[in-house]
Amino acid sequence: MKLVSLISGGIDSPVAAYLMARRGVELVAVHMDNRPFTDEKNLEKAAKLVKRLEEVTGHPIRSYVVAHGPNHVAFARNCRRNLHCLFCRRMMYRIAERIAREEGADGILTGENLGQVASQTLQNLEVVNQAVKVPVVRPLIGFDKVEIIGVARRIGTYEISTLPGLCCTIVPEKPSTAARLGDVVSEEGKVPIDALVEESLEGMHVLDPQAV
Amino acid sequence: MYSILKPCRTTAAFEAVPRERLSLDLDRCEEILGPVCTIVANAGVLLVVKDRCEVSLHRDGRLVLKTDSEELAREQAGRIANWLEGTPAVKSNRRQGPAAGYRPM
Repeated sequence: MKLVSLISGGIDSPVAAYLMARRGVELVAVHMDNRPFTDEKNLEKAAKLVKRLEEVTGHPIRSYVVAHGPNHVAFARNCRRNLHCLFCRRMMYRIAERIAREEGADGILTGENLGQVASQTLQNLEVVNQAVKVPVVRPLIGFDKVEIIGVARRIGTYEISTLPGLCCTIVPEKPSTAARLGDVVSEEGKVPIDALVEESLEGMHVLDPQAV
Repeated sequence: MYSILKPCRTTAAFEAVPRERLSLDLDRCEEILGPVCTIVANAGVLLVVKDRCEVSLHRDGRLVLKTDSEELAREQAGRIANWLEGTPAVKSNRRQGPAAGYRPM
């Protein structure tokens, strides 16, 4: 099995990637670059995390970077503010789905787990799922943070994930925790989704973990 | 002119908090800052400019200064304040709080 693994630079996603790699899954890593709403340190962390995952799994991981900043601008300027994290995640999934098709992968792998942040309620995860047709694998769905940190420490990703890096600055003050699919789809109609996906993929480039 | 603090444990940035409640008209800020800074992005709810370091301006007046140097953050916050204070881009929210201005550092 081959999965497109979304690697953010945080604690959860490399743990999710490791757990599935341990089960024999081949990984393709994708980092969504949120600059200028984060900083370059998150990109550096993602590259270091992929490098560490290669070491700990013993397998090379093809890795890509996709510019996500322009997508944030489009949603922030045109759509309901409290749904921003839903738009963001649905866009990431769409892009990951396209990469999965091009890479011959079977689905998307994320570090999402239930209830940790506002966008990761069961209702919101269902809304995000509806953006794509490929399976979304979430090996951490029932983990709590202590368990995730325990694995992260054991595989040597925790120290990298907790290096300095700017949190996303475009997160809404009051994000929706129970979005309705109809509302999200209606709001997304205000931006050219397909064109944004194409532009994101056109700007995609290879992330070289060995360069860090 | 600002109070500078680290926004969270893992970040490499400083946050400048206005001394009193403000609202920034970010489109006007873009017009004012355009000739003196590089406009990186205007997302409507957030304006990102680059001067000595990259700065995110929020509508409530907060600045996020992307540097790990507190000295540079203070200098940059001062430069932004000098350019914006007294212009129509800055409005006081007197009904919600005291008068306009930025907290002394």
